[in-house]
Amino acid sequence: MISIRGLSKWYGAFQVLADCSTEVAKGEVVVVCGPSGSGKSTLIKCVNGLEPFEKGEILVDGISVGSPKTDLPKLRSRVGMVFQHFELFPHMTVTQNLTLAQVKVLGRTPAAAHEKAMALLDRVGLRAHADKFPGNLSGGQQQRVAIARALCMDPIAMLFDEPTSALDPEMINEVLDVMVELAQEGMTMMVVTHEMGFARRVAHRVIFMDEGKIVEDAPKEEFFGTPRSERAQQFLAKILHH
Amino acid sequence: MFAGFDFDVIERSLPYLFREGMVFTVTLTALAMTGGIVFGTGLAMMRLATGVSLAPLVWLAGAYVNLMRALPLVLVIFWFYFLVPWIGGWLIGARQTIQVGAFWSAVITFTMFEAAYYCEIMRAGIQSVSRGQQSAGYALGLNYWRTMGHVVLPQAFRNMLPVLLTQTVILFQDTSLVYVISATDFLGAAAKVANRDHRLVEMYLFAALVYLVVSYVASRTVGRLQARLAVIR
Ligand SMILES: Nc1ncnc2c1ncn2[C@@H]1O[C@H](COP(=O)(O)OP(=O)(O)O)[C@@H](O)[C@H]1O
Ligand SMILES: [Mg+2]
Repeated sequence: MISIRGLSKWYGAFQVLADCSTEVAKGEVVVVCGPSGSGKSTLIKCVNGLEPFEKGEILVDGISVGSPKTDLPKLRSRVGMVFQHFELFPHMTVTQNLTLAQVKVLGRTPAAAHEKAMALLDRVGLRAHADKFPGNLSGGQQQRVAIARALCMDPIAMLFDEPTSALDPEMINEVLDVMVELAQEGMTMMVVTHEMGFARRVAHRVIFMDEGKIVEDAPKEEFFGTPRSERAQQFLAKILHH
Repeated sequence: MFAGFDFDVIERSLPYLFREGMVFTVTLTALAMTGGIVFGTGLAMMRLATGVSLAPLVWLAGAYVNLMRALPLVLVIFWFYFLVPWIGGWLIGARQTIQVGAFWSAVITFTMFEAAYYCEIMRAGIQSVSRGQQSAGYALGLNYWRTMGHVVLPQAFRNMLPVLLTQTVILFQDTSLVYVISATDFLGAAAKVANRDHRLVEMYLFAALVYLVVSYVASRTVGRLQARLAVIR
């Protein structure tokens, strides 16, 4: 579904990503972790073309993200993305947030878009908040709305960039529960997170990044059993014992 | 101290002052504001464009804004009024000049001039919207225009509303400069009555008072609108 081959990216002279390669199969859940600044967000943003890259190739459902001929808006409409800071549109109600792209990008009728939005709000347990503005919701609620907004587009894969790291601890689980359910339903997911509990429960593979490189890319059992690299061991020790 | 003043002249000329003068001033302000904000927003988007291929647009918009801000408004009004007939005629290849009239000449001049100022306000406004908002728009499959139109500009506009309206109050006051092309705006109308009836002090006092009241009311409205439109975060 997503294949990343020999991906390299520079910010000026600084190399953020160095020869990264990995595959995410249909229905697979891959967790990406690593220290801050290791290039996790950059990697995931390259997948839907939010960040351009200089070298390598990314294919999403067989379509080359880097090719100038690719219709990027169309490709992005098929890949859901959830951000660390939610990024709901603050000047629109929850419902408007959920229907905007359905109508403007997918060409659905307002009625069909509304129906879809309500179904997804039901699913994340927030139907009662449909007419509120994002600013009136808690962080956990906002992130659930953001997930619902992405799901409204019927994505073929979902990208998550630290979806719970801006949340108060008591709200993390309500968001993780939605993500776990999604994973169990067979959604293809690439998730940047340090929630190792989530990784243990639903991930198929774990990728560990350090200084722009994919240092470890292993099935979950192997990764949590005996990570090969010392950096990954140190990292795990640090985040599992706090 | 007002002994010997004739305030009746004001009452007598009220219909003329407002129906002719104030209508001209307000219409000019409203049209130039609308046009200036639309054109200025376009300039702001050009100035903020990224990518090598768009560099000429960035330069062009920057040059335009800096030129307009470097020129005294009076000169622009004056030159535009006298030059446009020639330029217009030349553009359509006509032998005779194109007559625009003082009003439309003023509308175009103020629109073009104010656009430079509205541009800088909207540029700050666009920059006040976090990049993450733009990314979220793109991530949903919205293209550049839709992301700007539905996500970035509405927020930029709300964030900048007080400054935009303050600029409009300045525009409202600046419209009195149309005296250089002998147009009859509110101040022009007052000046005509003042000269005709030799009541300079009364008329100019009254005109100042009217500008003061309008500007004050507008500023108060800014505050109220701000509270109502503020985005909850
Ligand atoms: N727009 C940018 N310009 C320059 N450097 C950047 C930019 N964005 C990120 N970086 C740098 O790239 C590195 C990787 O960033 P990021 O992908 O956000 O890391 P992570 O998500 O793993 O914390 C960091 O060192 C960061 O400072
Ligand atoms: Mg990050």
